[in-house]
Amino acid sequence: MSILEYNGAAIIAMAGKGCVGIASDTRLGIQAQTVATDFRKVFKMNDRLFVGLAGLATDVQTMDQLLRFRQNLYELREERQMSPRVMSNLLSNLLYEKRFGPYFIEPVVAGLDENGKPFLSGMDLIGAPVYTDDFVVSGTATGNLYGMCETLYKPDMEAEQLFETLAQALLASVDRDALSGWGGVVHIITKDGVISRELKGRQD
Amino acid sequence: MARRYDASTTTFSPEGRLHQVEYAIEAINNAGTCVGILASDGIVMACEKRVTSGLLAPAKTSEKTYKLCQHAACTVAGLTADANILIDQARLRAGRYDYQYQEPIPIEQLVEHVCNYKQAYTQYGGLRPFGVAFLFAGYDSHHGFQLYQSDPSGNYSGWKATVIGANNQAGKSLLKTDYGAKPEEEGEEMKTDEGEGGKKSEEEEIRLPDMQGALRLAVKVLNKTNDGTAVSADKMELFTLSLDDDKNCVHRILKSEEAQKVIDEVEAESASSGDA
Repeated sequence: MSILEYNGAAIIAMAGKGCVGIASDTRLGIQAQTVATDFRKVFKMNDRLFVGLAGLATDVQTMDQLLRFRQNLYELREERQMSPRVMSNLLSNLLYEKRFGPYFIEPVVAGLDENGKPFLSGMDLIGAPVYTDDFVVSGTATGNLYGMCETLYKPDMEAEQLFETLAQALLASVDRDALSGWGGVVHIITKDGVISRELKGRQD
Repeated sequence: MARRYDASTTTFSPEGRLHQVEYAIEAINNAGTCVGILASDGIVMACEKRVTSGLLAPAKTSEKTYKLCQHAACTVAGLTADANILIDQARLRAGRYDYQYQEPIPIEQLVEHVCNYKQAYTQYGGLRPFGVAFLFAGYDSHHGFQLYQSDPSGNYSGWKATVIGANNQAGKSLLKTDYGAKPEEEGEEMKTDEGEGGKKSEEEEIRLPDMQGALRLAVKVLNKTNDGTAVSADKMELFTLSLDDDKNCVHRILKSEEAQKVIDEVEAESASSGDA
């Protein structure tokens, strides 16, 4: 049993034309037993920045709280909002600080930078980042997620099409994974704001 | 007399005074005035900006008013360098409390933390006290809007209206007569030198002004503490803390046109009351 597979999660973040989307399932389980179907794994940090956290649920929630604490301090001291790149670096730094006793999470960062350009990054549990311009995935269904994304992804999708792509990729992937699913949520971030929708999927 | 007992923070004088602390308080009496006023629906803090040179680059957003957390802010009178340390302490404390309890820190606890930090420099280590006085303005669900004042000794007290910095005694005496005074029939603020209605009867409670009334009163106090000359919009900073429709705190520094409007209203008031 791997500690990263104790609670279950599936997260995708994908870039479109002047927009980014981030989606996750909403299952919280304790190994095989499903305990909640409304567990949030994607967190809005500000109007243009989302962080998705897959892995051990307690660390998911703790890291969300920690990130918000650090973000608040940053905004108070610097009097400006944190850009996605900076958030990604902060996350990476926080994770490496616990190099020999890590947080069991594998986060993704999705947002629009100062110029409205999409930013995506993913990292492992000790903070090694990867930056892409198409998509990043994380969780217990990454095999499925990579396959679906690779197949369905096209560059420069508009917001509505991005939503469809994310939703289909997520739903199809979690159906073949016992530990993720039980509902989903998709957030599309454009320069005009965020649209969030809940997904109706197989409740098993 | 004081000479033998004033060089060290950690020594009482024979009269039971801590001279270093008192000297620190003196340092603040040369700083730009700050007035804080509790209104019925928020808090107003007005500061006099001391511009030492025209060549100075403008400060970030303010050199007097600082946001501490979502629901609290403070204004500073005294040594800015000392203030920066304490403001950072306050921000960290508020952030850590929120992280630990997932709840906003009650204002008095935040003030007490900063004050305890200041107190340590009056008792341990042979370090000098902080030469800063603060006005803390905040909102919490337990006690609503609150205004606190703190000084280098680490003492703090809650106020409905108060003044720190240069000429604070003059400001405080103006507040004593004008704050919470019954407004005239037209709804304007009472003037200081009008005898009628200027004193409140014993049984009457002090009525909190509304935000506009508080803003006008704050400007009036700043005018008085500025040696009687009216302060211009670019030399003052008007800050308000209030709640929006979703019960979130809103921090606002008035733009110069809005500040000018308040100044004009105060000017008109004093003109119409027949002041010389």
